[in-house]
Amino acid sequence: MAKKSNNYNVQYGEPVGMIAAQSVGEPGTQMILRLFHFAGIEATVTTSGLPRLAELVDAKKRPTTPITYVYIEDGAKKDFEKVEAIAKKINEVKMQNIVRRFVENFPKKRIKFFLNSQELEAAGLTSKQIASKIEKLFEVEAEADEDAVTVRLQTTNMKIIRNTGVRMMRSVISGIEGVGKAIIQQDKKTGEYFIIATGNNLGAIMDVAGVDKYRLYTNDVFAMYKQFGIESARYTLAKELMHTLSEQSITVDHRHLLLIADAMTSSGTIKGIGRHGLSGQKNSVLARAAYEETVKHLINAAAFGEIDPMSGVTENILVGKLIPLGTGSVKLAMKSGDTSKVKKNK
Amino acid sequence: MKAQEKSYVYLNGKVIGFVEDPISFVNEVRKTRRKGLISGEVNVAFMEKLNTININTDRGRIRKPYIIVENGSSKLTEDMLAKIKSKEINFTYLIRNGIIEYLDAEEEENALIALSEKDITKDVTHLEMDLVSVFGFTVSTSPFPEHNSLARHTMLANFIKQSEGLYSSNFNIRFDSRSYILYYPQVPIVSTSAYRAAGIKSHPSGQNLVVALSTYYGYNMSDAVVINKASVDRGMGRSMFYKSYSDEERRYPGGQKDRFRIPPPTAEGYMGEHVYSKLSEDGIIEPEMEVKEGDVLIGKVAPPRFLEENIGAGGLEEKTREDSTMLKTGEEGVVDSIIVTESTGATRIVKIRVRSLRVPEKGDKFASRHGQKGVVALIANQADMPFTESGIVPDLLLNPHSIPTRLTFGHLLEMLAGKAGSLNGKKIDGTGFITEGKARMKEYGDVLKRYGFDEFGDETLYDGITGREFKAKIFTGVVYYNRLYHMVSNKMQVRGRGKVQILTHQPTEGKARQGALRFGEMERDALIGHGATLLLKERLLDQSDKTEVLVCKSCGSMGYYDYIKRMPVCPICTNGDLVGVELSYAFKVLLDEIKSLHILPKVRLKE
Repeated sequence: MAKKSNNYNVQYGEPVGMIAAQSVGEPGTQMILRLFHFAGIEATVTTSGLPRLAELVDAKKRPTTPITYVYIEDGAKKDFEKVEAIAKKINEVKMQNIVRRFVENFPKKRIKFFLNSQELEAAGLTSKQIASKIEKLFEVEAEADEDAVTVRLQTTNMKIIRNTGVRMMRSVISGIEGVGKAIIQQDKKTGEYFIIATGNNLGAIMDVAGVDKYRLYTNDVFAMYKQFGIESARYTLAKELMHTLSEQSITVDHRHLLLIADAMTSSGTIKGIGRHGLSGQKNSVLARAAYEETVKHLINAAAFGEIDPMSGVTENILVGKLIPLGTGSVKLAMKSGDTSKVKKNK
Repeated sequence: MKAQEKSYVYLNGKVIGFVEDPISFVNEVRKTRRKGLISGEVNVAFMEKLNTININTDRGRIRKPYIIVENGSSKLTEDMLAKIKSKEINFTYLIRNGIIEYLDAEEEENALIALSEKDITKDVTHLEMDLVSVFGFTVSTSPFPEHNSLARHTMLANFIKQSEGLYSSNFNIRFDSRSYILYYPQVPIVSTSAYRAAGIKSHPSGQNLVVALSTYYGYNMSDAVVINKASVDRGMGRSMFYKSYSDEERRYPGGQKDRFRIPPPTAEGYMGEHVYSKLSEDGIIEPEMEVKEGDVLIGKVAPPRFLEENIGAGGLEEKTREDSTMLKTGEEGVVDSIIVTESTGATRIVKIRVRSLRVPEKGDKFASRHGQKGVVALIANQADMPFTESGIVPDLLLNPHSIPTRLTFGHLLEMLAGKAGSLNGKKIDGTGFITEGKARMKEYGDVLKRYGFDEFGDETLYDGITGREFKAKIFTGVVYYNRLYHMVSNKMQVRGRGKVQILTHQPTEGKARQGALRFGEMERDALIGHGATLLLKERLLDQSDKTEVLVCKSCGSMGYYDYIKRMPVCPICTNGDLVGVELSYAFKVLLDEIKSLHILPKVRLKE
């Protein structure tokens, strides 16, 4: 068995990087540029296809559509109501989401917020809760009516009153900042409920009671890196690459994608492929100059007296040497007629 | 009323005012136009979404005539049609009297156009004059367009543009840079009303061929066609290719000018007596002279590129440079005609037209009027071609697989119609939408039956090679085929070893320079992916720009071999300890260029 599995090992000198690049690049040409499909729920719509692939490979700091998958701890995961409660805790509700309109009364130093009762119900909040939250956040007095909240201020300064009003509208009343549209879904296989939400405030979500910290996942590679470290980022990257490709019904061997993820994360941070990432940090001056910003690299090399070790592919092709790969990676141990390395039998 | 609620009125893109009731305004403008009070070239459109009115009177708009419909009835009455027939009134009369009007793209947005008289409802504003007029010129000349897929129509339009024919009846006195004339162009048996109306009958661009939908020993797989050698010998698809060369006696600052003459042996770049042997005394070739690649057509000498001091000194012959016009690589033919004339700048101009025969050969391209193109793969002897019971041998064998997936059923219908037309000797009208397909099938089938053929066009064919009867009946008919100007003889090119670029010492690219095919980056990647290192080196170095450069062992700079001292020399060191290194010439150029920037690249040597 071991023997057999060894037969499938990649052989020495195999240009794995090139093969991985071709394996992803070729089907990539078939992907339709900027294809969006709106299957599923609103919140789960993500960038897909080529733009998403480019986003991952270029190691963009912020993905265009970050999405967080929140799983629930064992005890509550099959209880819809408990899960719903957690979802409400997570879901960010801003004042402006629940307020129909607000009216300032400058001489009486008052701002009155008229609440939208439907939105209020959906968020699971009452006007009293809102009033106390605003009191806490802004250190003011707030009164709660049935469908309105009145805030009393200390000043008659119109500018300050208007500004606080706007600031209050923007304030987060409940939930976690940056996390929105929490939607509960059921895993068809296990029957457990989990939450899908936009945003990637992992640190705050972890602190919510009942959330399974070990299974928390987001499609934002950098958020995963910050929260869980580089190994997690590597896994996320590979998984997201795989997901983006399989979404377009393109099958690429996972080992190619793992290699790409490995290459991007091997330094301990996430590096994109391109001028500012992997290709821009190659060892060889000639290889870098051949890629992009030729003049910059040549000038720097000249200024610092750089020596090209001639260990890569590009530079050897450029000069006209055999490349150190495949059949070029083997060398004679001994020249003909050179007997200095032969052990002599005495 | 607020200004926002009024509609903007734009005249040729500029705001000229506001209108309170846009619809009645637009209607009023149209009414006066139909009365003939304002020019018929004025178009007005109300854009509801933008709440603007666009009045256009400027040039450059595409406009199309429509019959006006008012209160659910066409203004063009039977009475008028009869008057048109008796030539009492004409088209201009209809326009002047508000029966027909031209709409531009914007006004068309406001119109509801009925395709036929029976489609008219109370909302309809206009009536299409003819259904085919929804297509452009090229497509409306194709027969049975309603039976073909839309994608094929765009292809067909392209093919018709590329077809050879009688493009101009004065071709014999024209000096087009390239032109093609078909030897025996025919008027199609199946034509359309647009074809006749446009008068392209006098400039036909194809021939009616007998086509059998049959395979032939695998020679017409994937869009290849087999053609009959006897048909080719009789002139099928035969054409003449004309190419013009021209040159001018240019004047240069300093009173110097070019001169048409046989270059003297003293001229710089003189190519030897034999090259100029076909030129007459004035340095210009004679008509009806056979020429081949590399022959000089116009002998010309130019003044030297750089002025030298001793010009005129000693009364010696003026120094000149050879600058003749030669026939391009891979071309041959006969000098057809020559004109010598003068340009506006009072310099002499010579134009030479070379003609060469283009008999159909393997690799030439043919297409029918249904977007069905094919490349000749075999020119079969007539004896080897399949033949029908009555002894008809098809001119062309088209693979039946090319029909169903492409949805070009018009091709089949044309075969049937062409066959019927050639039997009863009548032209057939293939204009779109005039009758239903079934009625047409019946019409042509009846003709075929009358002449003793199968009503569906099927025929029993016998293999010309074995003499055996084909098990299946083969659909045979007559189709109008165009010969397209993509021909192998104009494109074919080979190269083993050859020219290299001066700068990089790499092989040249392109047919005109006898170039090679590029071994590009992606091809390079493929070889790397296979780990085929030695093959990669062979392609990119040994068969490209390999050079040997001497490199100094101690300082690493490039040196040279001094043939006088008979020793290698390093420009920096004096010990002469240099070693030959294999490099790509492009890299050597890179090192040289870096050196020119006052940076010293050094080559470190191992071993």
